[in-house]
Amino acid sequence: MRWLLLGVVVLLASCANVTKIGPGKVSVNEKMVTQLDKAWNRIDAPGKGKVEIWTADGLPLDRLTFYPAIGDGEALAELQGRKEKQQPRFHVGMPPHEIVELFETVVAADGSTFRLDKLSPTAFAGGEGFRFDYSVLRKEDEVELKGVAYGVVQHGKLFLMTFSAPKTHYFGKHLSSVESIAGSVQIRN
Amino acid sequence: MDRRQFLVGCGCCGLVGAFPALALATSTNTDVWQAPQRFQRPLAGSEEGGLWAMMDREEAKLRRSMFLIKERPLNDYLTRIATRLAGEHSLDIRVYPVRTPLFNASMAPNGMLQIWSGLLLRMANEAQLAAIIGHEIGHYLSRHSLDRLRDAKSRSAFGQFLGIALSAAGAGGTAPLAQMALVAGMFAYGRDQEREADRIGLELMSKAGYEPMEASKVWAQLLAEINAEKDWSGAPAEKSVLFASHPPAVERQDDLVARAKRLSAGQLSPYEGDYASMLAPYRREWLEDELKRRKSGETLALLEIMLQRSPGDSELRFFLGETYRLRAADGDMERAMNEYRAAAERPDTPAELYRSMGMIQRQQGDHQSAKDSFRHYLAARPEAVDATMILSYLEKGS
Repeated sequence: MRWLLLGVVVLLASCANVTKIGPGKVSVNEKMVTQLDKAWNRIDAPGKGKVEIWTADGLPLDRLTFYPAIGDGEALAELQGRKEKQQPRFHVGMPPHEIVELFETVVAADGSTFRLDKLSPTAFAGGEGFRFDYSVLRKEDEVELKGVAYGVVQHGKLFLMTFSAPKTHYFGKHLSSVESIAGSVQIRN
Repeated sequence: MDRRQFLVGCGCCGLVGAFPALALATSTNTDVWQAPQRFQRPLAGSEEGGLWAMMDREEAKLRRSMFLIKERPLNDYLTRIATRLAGEHSLDIRVYPVRTPLFNASMAPNGMLQIWSGLLLRMANEAQLAAIIGHEIGHYLSRHSLDRLRDAKSRSAFGQFLGIALSAAGAGGTAPLAQMALVAGMFAYGRDQEREADRIGLELMSKAGYEPMEASKVWAQLLAEINAEKDWSGAPAEKSVLFASHPPAVERQDDLVARAKRLSAGQLSPYEGDYASMLAPYRREWLEDELKRRKSGETLALLEIMLQRSPGDSELRFFLGETYRLRAADGDMERAMNEYRAAAERPDTPAELYRSMGMIQRQQGDHQSAKDSFRHYLAARPEAVDATMILSYLEKGS
């Protein structure tokens, strides 16, 4: 029984690893670099692929996700239990609208609702990118989230960062830090 | 997966059964069926009473859910259908429409009946919806969920599922809809119980004045969707979330047709017009939810079937174009453009159609046409949330 318990603990511990990052210059999956004005926590979990997830106060309260260097034909995120043709795939030439639609599919995969509140052009990571604001009603706990995202397509690859947090308190709490991260993102050659 | 999702999953297949031990008035051997008397609430101290109390708590949460569709006209409409079908039992049944883009309806033993928006979107008329509600009432009146609960195999599966649900909740993760539906499928009723619920449902609907032949059409349409998805993505039909709890079979369809023929007087109504006007305020939002599932095979089949019923419906044609555009397989951009063009010729065309046309024209290098389409969109939606993005496309020459 003791070994069983130990096994369970080891198994749980190996599921996700949290690492403190920043403040200062930080690399995102060796594809991007950014400057942090405060410390964040990076969540390393198996099966997340090249996607990198950060949080300040814990995942239910805020989530900063980086989708770095998504290539032509690659899924924005591999959704569980789906065939290849059912995955939301990025294609070179997709306008920002269709990239938002990819993200929308990822958000809605658990039954959450997604609403686009604003989409406009903006400079990001040294290129002509785009920014969008959105609202989500999270299925698992029915918390209303607000979100902001920045993206750009450079050298045929998509670089996207999204930040979602409950609209009461937590979104506003970290927004300036997120904006400063977005403003300092650079793509690594 | 939270507890509510988990219970929805269970409820749809009647796992969480809590019925008092009243005499069963259904018969599996003959066509003579008589509704039982109203059920009494089980004693609080009994196992069934405990489960009933648990469902009451879930129902209290469901009433507060932001996914519940609360508008009075839709709720009154659904309650009227349930009342027509269930007779005096309708006093014990409460109907809750829930915004979830999957085909599912579930009846809990305490009388909580949930109907998901993905199911409502797929019904062609009121009679088809009555077939579904009648089927669920059939399970309720036959107390099938109690049988499932008493089945040791089911109990063990229940425990397994409870473990999965709790660990998922504890990890702060979410379960994809697909997984939720698949696990729910583990508790599906047996073939005899489905057949019995089908038979009761048909009797109730024909007694209430609905054309019983519509029942088999529901399953025929869903089979068409599932086969289309299998052809497109290779997703096995038995894993389709559309059939979380109601696996269809050709044999079952044939049985429904044969029984309907015996019941139908040929003068019963499908109540098509009533249903279309009830659906109208919600249809666009539910079609958008459907698109986000990215099950192109199923969505294309669904839209083709809906267009067969209403060939002149420009909104449906727009969504057909959208499905092709998002699928983006060989030739899909041309298919999408054909649908957009056909829709554009009709009144009441969604302005977003021009935005989609513009995006395809831009990608195809037809910059002048893209400009025209984007301008058309902006003229119709000057305050759109993406107006500045569209303006930037125009400034860049398309």
